[in-house]
Amino acid sequence: MASAPSLAASLHPATPTDTVPRAELSAIDASTKWPALVFIVSALVWLLIGTVFALIASFKMHSPEFLGNYEWLTFGRVRSAHLNAVIYGWSTNAAFAVAFWLMARLSRAALRHPGVLIVAACFWNLGVTIGVIGILAGDSTSIEWLEMPPYATPLLFVAYALVGAWAVITFRFRKSEHIYVSQWYILAALFWFPWLYSIAQIMLIFEPARGTVQALVNWWFAHNVLGLWFTPIGLAAAYYFIPKVLGKPIHSYYLSVLGFWSLAIFYNWAGVHHLIGGPVPAWVISAGIAASLMMVIPVVVTAVNHHLTMVGSFGALRTSPTLRFVVFGAVNYTLVSLTGSAMAIRSVNEITHFTHFTVGHAHEGMYAFFTMVMFGAIYYILPRLLLKEWPSAALIRAHFWCAAVGVTIYWVDLEIGGWIQGMQMNNPNIPFLEVVHNTLPYLVTRSVAGILMTIGHLAFAVNVAWMLAAKRPAGATAPTLFRSPPAMQAAPVR
Amino acid sequence: MEWLFYVVAVVVGLGISGSAVYALYWSSQHGQLRDFERGATSIFDDQEPQGEMTDHFPAPRRKPGAPPPES
Repeated sequence: MASAPSLAASLHPATPTDTVPRAELSAIDASTKWPALVFIVSALVWLLIGTVFALIASFKMHSPEFLGNYEWLTFGRVRSAHLNAVIYGWSTNAAFAVAFWLMARLSRAALRHPGVLIVAACFWNLGVTIGVIGILAGDSTSIEWLEMPPYATPLLFVAYALVGAWAVITFRFRKSEHIYVSQWYILAALFWFPWLYSIAQIMLIFEPARGTVQALVNWWFAHNVLGLWFTPIGLAAAYYFIPKVLGKPIHSYYLSVLGFWSLAIFYNWAGVHHLIGGPVPAWVISAGIAASLMMVIPVVVTAVNHHLTMVGSFGALRTSPTLRFVVFGAVNYTLVSLTGSAMAIRSVNEITHFTHFTVGHAHEGMYAFFTMVMFGAIYYILPRLLLKEWPSAALIRAHFWCAAVGVTIYWVDLEIGGWIQGMQMNNPNIPFLEVVHNTLPYLVTRSVAGILMTIGHLAFAVNVAWMLAAKRPAGATAPTLFRSPPAMQAAPVR
Repeated sequence: MEWLFYVVAVVVGLGISGSAVYALYWSSQHGQLRDFERGATSIFDDQEPQGEMTDHFPAPRRKPGAPPPES
């Protein structure tokens, strides 16, 4: 582990950056082993916890008496616990692991100060645990996406500061001449997230702004967590893994750079489209709608890049687990983003607002895009950390098909149901209770899709646990490892 | 106190925007926006060269012709 200078020396601006050697990829992977394992395993635990909360909340939507006797499992609490467990527990832990594994690899230098990241992981997970327990105990702040009680959030700040400091050090001591587009995305995301989170905490919880400014800050934050934190990390992973797995460069690198800068310019404005029809100045809403539609530029640019890179290589989807998950995610990124831009148009928003359509859309973004890309990344990263093969191809296939089919049923179902719900709510001749009743078949279907996704998560968890427990046969080389080129050449590329 | 937080938010926002503009300027000055073909291939090296896939499903389909391993 090449932590040559001390942490203080790494942070000191006068320390020369040429003391660090350019490292072999295998040495870089080895240096990331412990922090990456801690983040990935805690992400997986949170995924399972979040899934349980999700199922409870989903069942309660069509069977309100389900677990109705427990106050800490009422819908309002368990739904927020689900959101926070999967956003801050699963997604952010996975994003951290993938971000710094990619960052170390692309910077071509062994990971320095792994202890800093492990301490950050402990603080982060402690913070999320306290936060989720606080929500279940009834201490939720009731501000969407910031439900964690104020006594949990300082721990998250400490964790984030450590990760941020580490990222700056890694970037500064990089040994790569070129900054690959994934590095731009990751570095920017690591700056943007603390900005969003701290401003939102201050203006909503510590010193709440007045009136509708609260709503504006809330949706600026909540939408940008998706657009300026999860989207960049997901795209960074897709921009690395698609060309890397295929062994062919991205279709148009020029477009990827254009995509990054246009996302940086437009996304920050888009969040206020959640307040269309609300009591906020019309120009703010119009600016948000314009920015939401301008997002078509980075989305189309990214779609052209990801999908045209795949052209001619679709056969590889059968042989590579990583590619399957990442390409599924990339296709859904295109779909969900174009849907999102359409939903910002006033006439569309009048129908979809306050319906299950939004819930389906959110899950297509966070699950069908982001979570699937993270799954794919973990399938690529873990064998290289543990120097072991995935124990079961059947479990990988079960995971993929359950998750992919489950989430597709989920969002298609809720978007159809939500659209019908919105049309009926806009029709004054249909009583409200009848509209509610008409959503039931879609809510039941959603629970079935949720069960399918849960089976996928269990297959994934069993495979990871099995892999961690399995002994590595001496001198073993395996197709997913790519440690031993002669052995790789013997393996057929099918 | 409320005004103080608005000031902080505006200053931090300007700082973030400024850093983005500086990053774009920096990348143009340091050749990051030139020779895009080379940039695209920067993720490949001798160890993991261009033209070779780096991810496959695990065994047993690894070696054609060889007796299938016990599963």
